[in-house]
Amino acid sequence: MIRRLARLLAYGLALGLAGPAAAEESTRFPASEHERTTLTIRSAADIDAMAPLIRDYQQLYPDVTVVYHEYITADLFGEVAASCAVGHADRDRPADVVISSSVDHLIKLANDGCARAHHSIETGRQPDWAAWRNEVFGFTTEPAVIAYRPDLVPREDLPRSRVELVDLLRRKPESYAGRIGSYDITLSGIGYLFAAYDGRAAATYGRLVEAFGRANLQVRCCTSDLIADLETGRIAIGYNLLGSYVYRAMRRGARLGLVVPRDYTLVLSRAVLVPVTARAVGDAFAFIDYLLSERGQRVSREEAFFFDRTGPLPPGIDGPPSLSAAGAFRPITVGPVLLAVQDRARRARFLAEWRQSIGAEAQKADVGAPKASRRAEEP
Amino acid sequence: MISRSSSLFSRLVAVLALVLAVGAGLLLVAAWASARLAADEAYDRLLVGAALQIAETIASDGRTISVDPPFSAFETLALSPRDRIFYKVVDPADRLLTGDADLGIPVDRARLAAGPLLLDGEHRGQAVRAVVTGRYVPDATQAGFAAVVVAQTREARTQLTRALTVKASVMVLAMSALALGAVAVAVRAALRPLGAIEGVLAARGPNDLQPLGLAAPQEIHLLVASIDHFMGRLSGHVAVMKRFIADAAHQIRTPLTALVAQLDLLSNETDEGRRRDQLARIRARMAELGHLTNQLLNHAMVIHRARSAAFDPVDVAGLARRTLIDAVPQAGDRAIDIGYEGPDEALTIPGDAIALREALANLIHNALKHGARGRLTVRVGRERGRVVVAVEDDGPGIPASEWARVREPFQAATGGTVGSGLGLSIAAEVAAAHGGEMRFEVHSGKGFCVILSLPDGEGRP
Repeated sequence: MIRRLARLLAYGLALGLAGPAAAEESTRFPASEHERTTLTIRSAADIDAMAPLIRDYQQLYPDVTVVYHEYITADLFGEVAASCAVGHADRDRPADVVISSSVDHLIKLANDGCARAHHSIETGRQPDWAAWRNEVFGFTTEPAVIAYRPDLVPREDLPRSRVELVDLLRRKPESYAGRIGSYDITLSGIGYLFAAYDGRAAATYGRLVEAFGRANLQVRCCTSDLIADLETGRIAIGYNLLGSYVYRAMRRGARLGLVVPRDYTLVLSRAVLVPVTARAVGDAFAFIDYLLSERGQRVSREEAFFFDRTGPLPPGIDGPPSLSAAGAFRPITVGPVLLAVQDRARRARFLAEWRQSIGAEAQKADVGAPKASRRAEEP
Repeated sequence: MISRSSSLFSRLVAVLALVLAVGAGLLLVAAWASARLAADEAYDRLLVGAALQIAETIASDGRTISVDPPFSAFETLALSPRDRIFYKVVDPADRLLTGDADLGIPVDRARLAAGPLLLDGEHRGQAVRAVVTGRYVPDATQAGFAAVVVAQTREARTQLTRALTVKASVMVLAMSALALGAVAVAVRAALRPLGAIEGVLAARGPNDLQPLGLAAPQEIHLLVASIDHFMGRLSGHVAVMKRFIADAAHQIRTPLTALVAQLDLLSNETDEGRRRDQLARIRARMAELGHLTNQLLNHAMVIHRARSAAFDPVDVAGLARRTLIDAVPQAGDRAIDIGYEGPDEALTIPGDAIALREALANLIHNALKHGARGRLTVRVGRERGRVVVAVEDDGPGIPASEWARVREPFQAATGGTVGSGLGLSIAAEVAAAHGGEMRFEVHSGKGFCVILSLPDGEGRP
């Protein structure tokens, strides 16, 4: 606890300095054989999800030690952008691989010339929407889902699309007011990304936000908080949660249900890039090739992120037969379109509108949320 | 021996290949330029479209100016899939509303009203294509044009330019190769008549001097005609030579036979007086034979020299005087008035002194032997740009009907004595070899005149 406080303090200072010394947790995966090199991964992804992939990678490259630093997306972006602007990474803060769920950050970095290009058989097999410039590669398939407590939501109430969700909130406000949870998009990068893409489907988005406002939407900084609140029963339905994390909780034994919306399914492809300041460039590209390879994708499907583009959904999920089926598949393309999401005027305006609709609850969360809670912001 | 230079075929093909290569090079440059233009035009539309979409979202609520760059603008730009995108939006007071603060594309406010302006620039060390467009913000406090700047790297354009250029290049190169192949075939076909001439000439027997009789295209018709003409001349000369040899053989054989007969007579003759007569006749015959042989050799020499000797300056007047003096003893005891009329100073023409002297000597000899009764005059002078040497005597001359014939060897005017037939033909031959002519004139009351008219060399360089 003391260590955590100290770290948080350090983080607060770091914010003040706007420096690269951002808060992070690091895990070391030592090489099983004589260590040839050290691969430093700076990532905004749960270590629990990434560990199986890293270990399997080390099966192929047993002489590589992997050091995994976990970040929240905004800090990761700040640090990589800063070292890119300087032209080299801090001596004791190297970064060979950068992974983020805020794909828009990585796109912005690549657009600013901070990423290295990589061409290989694996990168050549990627669909167009899952890679940009051979610099940013989406390597996961994570749908935005509706998570719920089966004991709190009767089967007939279960919303299978956004329209049904709006309908449910209108029909039974007394049952669900204050029991719907979603991201605080002013804090959560992934929440903002999903909301921005919901916003592109203008017809339903307006009604959805309005319904959320009326139903006193509970906003949280991050997926883990939402899952925790679902588990304790403080909320009954969580909207737009990262399917991979919810499914992990289900496998862990949490009593949760998971609906992949049938009207359209937003799919995030968590992305990876190799910064220009990387040192172990070859190993970094080998790691990317591994992530994109069939072997890496199989490990990802079975142990890390549980979904893939074309295969059937994991068992026990209510949804279409596969993510890419029936035209409901809306990938968040890894490409320059995400620069629109990054636009600050657009973001300010979008957040202002969202705050206005969601109302006081969001305001309270915004003001009341102590800096400390940001640690867990990112999934 | 003919020096062998590189073949016509390879020279023609090399020149045409060079022309084709230069042409192809120019075409490639043109193709690249137009491909670049086309690529720019294609992607400029996307760029302008995106800028207009962003500009359309600029709005003012009376207090603040806002902008909301739409997804569609970026989707439009993402149609060039690999290009980086930089943009910024500034309000009428040049304050940044959104985008990249460091985007250094200049905004010319005076031009904003005129519509989107495309320009090339650089951002972060990369070449970019940029568009600047304005949107009028009708605001009470700060009315004016807000400006949208959108810039894009050139990768897609470069790629499209390259793809178009490569396509055009393939076509240009294919056409060039085709043209070169056609040229090679055409040149080979055009040169084939030369090969045919070579074949016909090579297949000929050494004595076959017939015209080639080949059908030739216009361009080498002249060559074939020249060869045929040359063949004709050669065959004419050979005929002349053959006749000359036959005549010479005949001319020599006749006096030899006569000599043999007279020697037989002499050997059987016992009478001393008649022996002496016969010996005198034999001596005269021998002298004639000697003269004939001399003339034959002279003729051969003159013909030979006419073909081979180089011309030197020759003083014709001096030459005429000396030749005349040398000829005086030939008059023997006849009372002939030999005279020279002409300049005392030198009269020089380019020529072969030996041949000229031989010609003149022959004419003088002829005149003394057959013509002159009491007078022989050699005149040298200029006449209408030519040097004229005339040998005039008071003899009977040659009838005009014989003039053409006597120029030929062995055709003496009067068919008289042996060996008289070569003098005039030698003189005619020498005159012709000097580019001049020999002609005859009859001067009533004075006599007969043989004239050598020679060019004085001033017409020639």
